Amino acid sequence: MQEYLDELNLLFREVFENEDITLTPETVASDIDEWDSINHIYLVVEIEKHFNIKFTSSQILEWKNVGEIVNSIQEKR
Amino acid sequence: MIFNSFDFFVFLPIVFCAYWFILKKHLKSQNVLLLIASYVFYGWWDWRFLSLIMLSTVVDYFVGLQIFKNEDAKIRKRWLRISVLFNLGLLGFFKYFNFFIDSWVDAFNSIGYQMDYYSLNIILPVGISFYTFQTMSYSLDISKRKLEPTKDFIAFATFVAFFPQLVAGPIERASNLLPQFFKKRKFDYNTAVDGARQMLWGLFKKIVIADNCAPYVNDIFQNYSDYSSGTLILGVVVFAFQIYADFSGYTDIAIGVAKLFGFNFKRNFNYPYFSTNISDFWKRWHISLSSWLNDYVFTPLAIEYRDYKKYGIFLALFLTFLISGLWHGAGWNYIVWGGLHGLFYIPVIFSKKRFSSISSNKINSKNKSTLRDFPKMVLTFAMVCFTYIFFRAINLTEAINLNKAIINGLITNNIFDIKIPDIRIVLFIPCLILIEWLQREKAYGLDLQKVNSTVLRWVIYFILISVIIIFGAKAQSFIYFQF
Repeated sequence: MQEYLDELNLLFREVFENEDITLTPETVASDIDEWDSINHIYLVVEIEKHFNIKFTSSQILEWKNVGEIVNSIQEKR
Repeated sequence: MIFNSFDFFVFLPIVFCAYWFILKKHLKSQNVLLLIASYVFYGWWDWRFLSLIMLSTVVDYFVGLQIFKNEDAKIRKRWLRISVLFNLGLLGFFKYFNFFIDSWVDAFNSIGYQMDYYSLNIILPVGISFYTFQTMSYSLDISKRKLEPTKDFIAFATFVAFFPQLVAGPIERASNLLPQFFKKRKFDYNTAVDGARQMLWGLFKKIVIADNCAPYVNDIFQNYSDYSSGTLILGVVVFAFQIYADFSGYTDIAIGVAKLFGFNFKRNFNYPYFSTNISDFWKRWHISLSSWLNDYVFTPLAIEYRDYKKYGIFLALFLTFLISGLWHGAGWNYIVWGGLHGLFYIPVIFSKKRFSSISSNKINSKNKSTLRDFPKMVLTFAMVCFTYIFFRAINLTEAINLNKAIINGLITNNIFDIKIPDIRIVLFIPCLILIEWLQREKAYGLDLQKVNSTVLRWVIYFILISVIIIFGAKAQSFIYFQF
């Protein structure tokens, strides 16, 4: 879990161009200023590219927080 | 019943007293009271259409439980489809039936084939676009495993029909509103006062600004060929303030009434005319609808198209705005209105700065706009005003003619012969802008929670009430009731 979370943290910083982002499993979109609905799509694309995986649409739509994104990544790896 | 009517000002105190004084310790009875009150509130307008609300309530209550109970993805989907088809079917029949028939016939006529037809005389049930979206979101959230259904039918029915937000929103989500029906309520004096204050502010916007703008705007849009370009442009700008004051005024009253009963609605407006780009505008105008469309239309589409990168995002956005246009009304002018907003996103999406430009303002973040952003605000406001021509005109042909009239006037230099608006418009629109600018970090324009002096607060109330009594226009219905 932690390993993926750290990797995801780096990716978030890169995508949102903000070095101050620190993720926890409980982080949600409203905690991060740059994380709006359009950027969310870019983020999904970057995560899939980085981990070389492909989520299903319903998987993505069910995410409630960063922890669930990590779970989905673990499932796919 | 409408908020700015005598009936409502008799209805509200009765419900309020029964709620807090007679039933103060009985949560379930309070909910029953709110449900009955909500049905009376709606039935006052037309009791026949209450059956539609009840039907929609029963369907989604049942569907919600079934989706939750079943783990099989196929069965879940089947149940969800029932909710979506039922709600969109209701909406489709009452709102769009004639529009589709007419458009169909027009299409045949245009290729030279004459068709005889009858369109039905269908009355649009007030609030149908709002409550069908609200109940649908309940089933959608359960199917996305973001919500657990309730077994308390009364609480659910009250969530669907709760009178402050029944006819024109805010479109509440079950995740925010439903749990509030299970929480013990304690009368809080400060919250109630805050609610009353927000109602007062809403009434001011509705009665003093929106209703005074209405005659001026109506005249210009009806007789546009008689007026100069300058007047036409001014008419559109005044309409921008009319519709804002009307709809955000309605919302302030709705949120204020809810506070009187100890309920907390989500924010619906965040000073939208101070937005610095179009994406910013849609995070601040009718937030409950745009976030609904965002969650249930844009995001699923954009995820589906995500491999097409920016083009996919644009396509998803454009389709979402077309649907938003159609939601507002069954007419091609509304679809064009939506389409224009979609097109306005092109520079936002395709600009080089991929992230920072889009995400300057989140819904709940503070409004840090300063006067330095003024040119951007004016540009955004002008773009929004341009789309209002399509929104306000009675159909697409009229909207196009109005555009032509403005352009012709500009060419022939027929600009400066301006029809001066009523003094109340000239006086109070700038007041509204100034007050909202100073209060832009607060929840609403008259939020005085940080003002400690009781005397000062009462002076402000006194002035506002006097202004409403002296300068208020004759009560008119709210614009958004037609959607």
